[in-house]
Amino acid sequence: MSPRDTSRPRKDERPPGEHEVHGVAFRDEVTAADPALAAATAEPAPPPAATARRIGPRQAALRPAFLAAALLATWLWFRGARLDSIAHQAVDHGKVWLALRQHVELTVVSTFFVLVIAIPLGIALTRSALRRAAPVAVALANLGQAVPALGLLVLLVIWLGIGARAAVIGMVAYAVLPVLANTIAGLRGIDPTLTEAARGIGMSPLGVLRKVELPLAVPLILAGVRTALVLNVGTATLATFGGGGGLGDLISAGIITQRMPVLILGSVLTVVLALLVDWLASLAELLLRPRGLEGTV
Amino acid sequence: MSFWEYVGNRHTQLLTDAYQHASAVFQCMVVATVLGVALGVLTYRSEWAGNLATATTATILTMPSLAMIGLLIPVVGLGVAPTVIALTLYGLLPIVRNAIVGLRGVDPTLVDAAKGIGMSRTARLLKVELPLAWPPILTGIRVATQMLMGIAAIAAYASGPGLGNEIFRGIASLGSANALNQVLSGTLGIVVLALLFDAAYVLIGRLTISRGIRA
Repeated sequence: MSPRDTSRPRKDERPPGEHEVHGVAFRDEVTAADPALAAATAEPAPPPAATARRIGPRQAALRPAFLAAALLATWLWFRGARLDSIAHQAVDHGKVWLALRQHVELTVVSTFFVLVIAIPLGIALTRSALRRAAPVAVALANLGQAVPALGLLVLLVIWLGIGARAAVIGMVAYAVLPVLANTIAGLRGIDPTLTEAARGIGMSPLGVLRKVELPLAVPLILAGVRTALVLNVGTATLATFGGGGGLGDLISAGIITQRMPVLILGSVLTVVLALLVDWLASLAELLLRPRGLEGTV
Repeated sequence: MSFWEYVGNRHTQLLTDAYQHASAVFQCMVVATVLGVALGVLTYRSEWAGNLATATTATILTMPSLAMIGLLIPVVGLGVAPTVIALTLYGLLPIVRNAIVGLRGVDPTLVDAAKGIGMSRTARLLKVELPLAWPPILTGIRVATQMLMGIAAIAAYASGPGLGNEIFRGIASLGSANALNQVLSGTLGIVVLALLFDAAYVLIGRLTISRGIRA
């Protein structure tokens, strides 16, 4: 969200050709336009988009080290904790690994579908033929975002029956919007002079899309992917309420049976997984950013 | 029993839940706004502190809410306490970030001008910088509120207040005739509350955004 807040108005300002000479007037316009734009376009995009921030090499190494330490501490503490038979039932026979694996599977599968749906849809909605439909689609998706993830998931469970399928569909429905919004914003934010220049040298519309527009939109699309991943790790904890498995199983077992070791183990694993996924996605953002855009926001 | 019959029969329960949901979200938003703006004001001048505040609150937001509540329960117990703490923490990020971005985006020449006419540091902050940064902060508050609506539903699992209880009652009776009605009324109730809050924020924006910068 933050890249959009700052880059969109500037892009809109550029065509009139204001320069540093009119620096004051120019900046006034941006602050005036910013809230309106933010309210109109950026506002409903879910907040995790905002986690898009650049990380330095020091910070990059810091997080996994911290996560490893947290895991180690939890493991040592858990081994020392006194477990009664109910707590044993919740964690024995590889149930922890099973929950972790289910959680990762739910996240990966739903993120895959989110990307397959949202990125082509975003591209389609920015083509001139469908451009008129884009605001409608975004407004509709924003309205859908007001639906709580928990309610959506449980309604799907009632409709489709318990199991992982309802959970995955709910997670996909919930995470499509941010990626879609980021893709549309990324493609729209491209300086029109660049696409016109590409057209001018004789590129086909497909060539312009493939060689100019998509590479320039990569940072925002990647930010959307990261958002989807983080959202999905979180929503996957709710899969437990529809019999979808995942680490939510440990958390809910811990809450229901009042066994704190189980609750803490499940919660710590979930938090560590979420932060790890976020960290990996931020690395991907750094590595996959096109060379020409290095140094830009 | 049709959905509307269900709502008619249970309207006292539903209204109580809706009221508690709205009140929990509203109170936590007030606390989060005060804390968030204070954090923004304290940190925006320093590159390092501002980024640290944003990064810390972003990390909190990355944590799944159910896990956060799970970590709070051993410390503060079940019920209202973990709900309030979790909601306030999650509400912070959009407000802190937008406060910092908004305050940093204020045209320095305007602050200079205010200094030039003899305004004190506090007066500049209260009369120039915060009014100019208010629109993005209000946007942050709107984003945070919408998010808290959904998180409050999950907090009902830790015996928190609100419409989430209706959804969890539905989960507990999955397969029974009323399960759908319960989940649907809880979910739609939250959607309605979210839209009402959003409308209220539009109105608040009309009333509080300084006339000079209204688009």
